[in-house]
Amino acid sequence: MAVNPILTATGQRAAGGVRLSRTARYLFFGAVLLYFCVPMAAVLIYSFATRWTANVLPDGYTLEWWQATVANPRIQSAFSTSIALATLTAIIDIAVVVPAAYWSRVRNARIRPVVEVAAAVPFALPYVVIAFGLMQFSGVVVPQYQGTFALLVAGHAAIAFPFVYWAVDGAMAAAGIERLSETAEACGASPFQTLRRVVLPNISPGLVTGGLLSFAASFGEFAMAQIIGRGLDTVPLWSAEMIRSYTDTAGSYNRLAVVTLLTFAVLFVLSAVVVYWNRGQTVRLLPGGVASDKGGGR
Amino acid sequence: MSGVSMVGVTKTYGQVKALDHVSVDVCEGELLALLGPSGCGKTTLLRCVAGLERPDRGSVEIGELDVTGVPTRDRPIGMVFQNYALFPNLTVRQNIAFPLEVRHKVRREIDARVDELLELVHLTDQADRYPKQISGGQAQRCALGRALAPNPEVLLLDEPLSALDALVRGRLRDEIRRIQQLVGITAIYVTHDQSEAMAIADRVAVMNAGRVEQVAAPADLYELPATQFSAKFVGSRNAVELAVHDGRVGIPGSFHIEAPSGSNGHALAFFRPEDVVVSRGADGPGMAARVELKVFLGATTRLHLIGDADGQPIAIFGDLPSRQARLIDEGEMVRVDVDPSHVHAFPI
Repeated sequence: MAVNPILTATGQRAAGGVRLSRTARYLFFGAVLLYFCVPMAAVLIYSFATRWTANVLPDGYTLEWWQATVANPRIQSAFSTSIALATLTAIIDIAVVVPAAYWSRVRNARIRPVVEVAAAVPFALPYVVIAFGLMQFSGVVVPQYQGTFALLVAGHAAIAFPFVYWAVDGAMAAAGIERLSETAEACGASPFQTLRRVVLPNISPGLVTGGLLSFAASFGEFAMAQIIGRGLDTVPLWSAEMIRSYTDTAGSYNRLAVVTLLTFAVLFVLSAVVVYWNRGQTVRLLPGGVASDKGGGR
Repeated sequence: MSGVSMVGVTKTYGQVKALDHVSVDVCEGELLALLGPSGCGKTTLLRCVAGLERPDRGSVEIGELDVTGVPTRDRPIGMVFQNYALFPNLTVRQNIAFPLEVRHKVRREIDARVDELLELVHLTDQADRYPKQISGGQAQRCALGRALAPNPEVLLLDEPLSALDALVRGRLRDEIRRIQQLVGITAIYVTHDQSEAMAIADRVAVMNAGRVEQVAAPADLYELPATQFSAKFVGSRNAVELAVHDGRVGIPGSFHIEAPSGSNGHALAFFRPEDVVVSRGADGPGMAARVELKVFLGATTRLHLIGDADGQPIAIFGDLPSRQARLIDEGEMVRVDVDPSHVHAFPI
C-alpha cells in the first residue's frame, strides 16, 4: 500500500502523521464497510427468505417471518421486558453514578480510588461469576425476590454502572466541573441549582453516552438474565431458546433474524439520537470543538 | 458597600502553613492588591474571603458582619476567576443573569440589570454569543459583569488577567480599575505581577510564605520597601552585599549610610537601576566601574557594571536614557554614584 505524506496548504505535514493515498483510503474504507455490512445484509436477507440453503441467494422471499414475529405475543413481551429492564438500568445507574462521580470530583477526592476500583470490577469479573454470586447472596438475604424482574434490574444496574461512570467522569473532567461548581457557588447558587443548571447541562454528552451504553449492556445481557432471571422473558433469553430448539421447518432461524434486526434497530435509533445530540453539545461545550456563529448545532 | 477585615487568618495543609496569622483590612471602596510569588498564600487568602476555603483559625468580616462560618453562596461577594470560568452552556447574557436568577429575581428586573451590565462591560453586541465564540478579554469582561450583577459588597479577583496576552492585559487592567471606581465597590485583587499590582491598586499587600510583609500605597512601596522581601520583589533592584565598617555601610567613593540595626558584619543594600548615576571618565565622584554589557530597552539602556569596592568586585545595574548611553562603549571605565537617600539596607 502506497504511503504518501501529504503536505497541507501551509506546507506543514498534516496533523496525524502518515496519510494514505486516496485509492488506499477508499479501499480500506470499503473493506471496513464490507466487514460490518455483509453480516447485517445476510441477516436482513435471511429474515425475508423462504428457503436459503443451496444457492448464493434465497429460493424465494416472504414477509411471513416479519408478520409472525411482530404479531407473536411472546416476542412482544420479551421486547417490552428488555426495554423496560434496560431503561430502568440506565435511569438507576445515572441517578446513582452522577452524584457519586460529582462528589468524588468536587468534594472528596479521597473516595476517587475506591470509586474507580469499583467501576473496574464488573469488567474484570465474568458476568456469570457475578450472577452466580448474586444468586447465592440474594438466596440468603432476599429469597422472595429470586427470579423477579426487580432483582434482575438490580443486577444489571450493578454490572452496567461502570459504563455510565467512565462516560460521566470523562465529561466532568472535560467540562472542568470543579471550577464550574465553585463559580456557581460564588454566584450564589445552591447545590441543587448548581447541579441542575451548571453540572447536568455541561456533562450532557457524557450522560447521554453513558445512558446509552448501560442501556445496550443491559439489553444484550444474557448470562445474568439466565441465572437470576429465570421465568422472565428477555430478548436474549428468547433468542437463545430459538437457537436451542432449532427445527428447519419452523423457520425459527428466520424469526431469530427478525429479532436480531429489531434489536439492532432499537440500539441504532438510540445511537443515532446520541450522536446527533452530542454533536451539537460537543461543539458548544468541549474544548477543541469548533465554535460556530449559529451557537452550536443542536 | 463596606470594607473587609481579615483577622489572624491561619490555614494549614498538612505540614505546610499556607497562611500564618494574616491580618489585613480593606477599606470601603478601596482596591487592595495581594501581591506575591506563587505559593505565598495570596490565592488561599482570597478563597478564605470567598468562603471557598475555611480558615483553621482567625476570622473574616465583611462590613460589620463576621462571615467566617457563612457558606460562599450566602456571602455578599462577586468573584472573577483566573481562567474564564464562564458557564459554557449559557450565552453571555445568560451568564450575567445567572446570579440574579438563582436569587429568584423578577424577570423584568433581571433583564434591566443585565442590559445595564452589558453596557458597563461593553458586551452588548456579544450578548447572545456563547463563551466559546468570544475572545479571552471579552470572556473576562463577561465574568466581571456576572460578578457585579447581584450588587455584591466585595469584588474578588483571582489573577483575572494571567491567561491573556500582554496587549489585552494592560487594556483590561485599566478597564477593571475604571469599573471598580465607577461602581465604588471594595475589591481584592490577587496577582503575582508587581507592575499590575502597582497600576491597579490603591494599596498593595506584599505576601511571602503565608505572611503579609508590608501593606502600602504603590508609590510608598516602590520608594520605601519595609522588608528585604518587599525590596527584592517589587521592582527590579540592585541587591549588593556590603561589609559593615564602624556601623556604616557603603560603596567606596559613593554613598555611605548607617548600617541597619541587627546587621552582623554584612548588610544587603537595595537601590534601583534608575537611581544609579553613571559619568564618563576615570576621575570624578563615585566608584570606578567597567561597562560589561549594554542592553537597549527602548527609552532607557541598562548597563551591566562591575565596580571595585576595596578590591571586591560588585555587580550593579544602571539605567541611563538611551541617548546618553550611546556615548558609552562596552568595556569603558566609568564612575558610578548613588544618592544615599535612595538606598535601603537590610541586615543579612
